[in-house]
Amino acid sequence: MTKDDRKHYIPDKVEYGEKHPDKFRGDVEEDGFHFCGYDYDSEEEQFKVYLHYDQLYYWKYAELSKMGKGLLDGEIWGTKCPECGDKFFPPRVNCWNLDCNLEKTEWIKLKPEGYVHTYTIAGWSGRSSLKRLPFVLAYVVVDGCKTAVANELRGIDPWNAEFEMPVKVVWADKEDRRGTITDFHFEPADDWEPSGMNPEKERMKELCEPVYEWVKSMK
Amino acid sequence: MTRKVCISGGATTPFDYPLHATPESMIANCIVETQEDIPNFTLRDLEFMVYSHFSVHFGKQLCPEWIVHDHLGLVGLPHFRVENGGNTGGSALYAAFLAVKSGLFDVVGVAGWETMDNVTQSQGSEFIALASDTRYEALAGGIYPIYYAAMAYKFMKEHGLTEEDFALAGMKNRTYACDNPKAQWARNENKKITVDDVMNSRLISYPLKKYDCCLMSRGGSFALVTSEEWAKENADGKYVTIDGAGLSSCTIRAGDRLAFPGWTEMYGEGYPDMTEFGACRKSGEDAYDMAGIEYDRAAKEIDVAEIHDAFSSSETQIYKALHWCDKDNIKDFVRNKRTFMEGDLPVNPGGGLMGFGHPVGATGIMSAIECYYQLTDMIPDKHHSSDTYVRDAETGLVNSHAGTGTSISNFILRRP
Ligand SMILES: [Zn+2]
Repeated sequence: MTKDDRKHYIPDKVEYGEKHPDKFRGDVEEDGFHFCGYDYDSEEEQFKVYLHYDQLYYWKYAELSKMGKGLLDGEIWGTKCPECGDKFFPPRVNCWNLDCNLEKTEWIKLKPEGYVHTYTIAGWSGRSSLKRLPFVLAYVVVDGCKTAVANELRGIDPWNAEFEMPVKVVWADKEDRRGTITDFHFEPADDWEPSGMNPEKERMKELCEPVYEWVKSMK
Repeated sequence: MTRKVCISGGATTPFDYPLHATPESMIANCIVETQEDIPNFTLRDLEFMVYSHFSVHFGKQLCPEWIVHDHLGLVGLPHFRVENGGNTGGSALYAAFLAVKSGLFDVVGVAGWETMDNVTQSQGSEFIALASDTRYEALAGGIYPIYYAAMAYKFMKEHGLTEEDFALAGMKNRTYACDNPKAQWARNENKKITVDDVMNSRLISYPLKKYDCCLMSRGGSFALVTSEEWAKENADGKYVTIDGAGLSSCTIRAGDRLAFPGWTEMYGEGYPDMTEFGACRKSGEDAYDMAGIEYDRAAKEIDVAEIHDAFSSSETQIYKALHWCDKDNIKDFVRNKRTFMEGDLPVNPGGGLMGFGHPVGATGIMSAIECYYQLTDMIPDKHHSSDTYVRDAETGLVNSHAGTGTSISNFILRRP
């Protein structure tokens, strides 16, 4: 490629020498909107500033408030279109059917049960979920809804999960609920038994082993 | 409308994590490199700028396009930014296409970047997950590789595919990236890998392993979108026509597509479920229609493609969504390596997102530029060798993809 002085130099490798103690790496604390650390490489003259990204904000549930209150009370509330009868969880506040012309849906208390539509075993996640690994995230159709909701499937070895398996809703302790989807998780229905091991399950188990080891090593 | 729209130049910075360059210098570099190829092009030719940037979280800066725009000296020129998840680049290209196609402008610049190395990879995964429905999915620990894995696992089961079938794309794209000096994989690991390497890499979310996933990156890219008249006069021999363009949408939550009335109306009951990318099929069909390509002949007519391979599984699912294969022959299509350099439809010779990298706002433009290089025979100059040069390619396809398949664009590029 031709050399052109207008092009900026891009170093291949930068080693940061001076490191500022970074108090936001670790427990996030409420400390305002300001710089919280830096690294500097004097060789390449590269400066890196760490910013506090976990800004505090809240969700206003507004029309979905009944769902939030229901979660606190240990109830699953979805919505239903009075026109076409389609049922939704997570709730949709208007019907999705164009012929229903934004018909406002009605609240409906759903049975705390469903079946697994699809799922996966997570071996990596975002910073705040690393210590829960490996976990099963399942898309569950709750009580005859037209949609599936994603949530954690517990009470099972990850490799024993199955498509179409029946599940039940299990609530967090009342004092730990916050009106969010994490107030409950799914567990296998009471009468469900996993089928025995097979090569695919062995493979999944093998892939999970290092994840268990890695999580144990985390501070 | 007979007016034709062209890509008449463009360039990409190296993609890397970390890469030590500001957004404004990355775009400046890309414009300078474009001028090396298209000497007639000057900043004074630009009439409109479309900026392609996904997340202000990564830069801690609202409207960062304003910084880039005045840095380029373009005060007074109209501009806006497009943000559309992983399809930001494709959507910005679509906006530029509309601007020229309408006859309002003759020369439009599309500039994109992302600065994902401002955070650690696990923080970055959470930032990106803010584009999923945070109230339900992100809060439950979901990040995009997890959503994709859940979709891919069902697709794999329903089509009789194996982990190894997906791994072929991960192996292919990383291996081709070794021929591309700007690719993150070449700048770091720089080794050709095998299917076994993919199979033995760490679990991300079953069935996806580390080498089935794209690379988080910093980088920038620029494309020059012009009228055919400008292209003929100023970029003769180095332009392509955009003969087809499609943009389509699907639900934000993958769990909402089991019976969506809009899809049922278009493609029948049970489509796309959680295994298909309906928005890819629809935008692909729209692009094929515009370019006069019959769907069942698409695999024959397209000579080279740059596909949004955020995951090896999604590249494989896209083969089907674009009508290159169907449920019955997808296994053969994959196992016969039709999308390898030695096959009849090479995909991602530039390395794709798994090899070149994925700085979201720059990615779709990078894909378009790699395809443009193929169709203008510039690959031997741009890559290390001619190993990833698809000779005599007449027709190319560029695909850009967002969310869990929530927004997807497709473009048909042709040698004039
Ligand atoms: Zn309705």
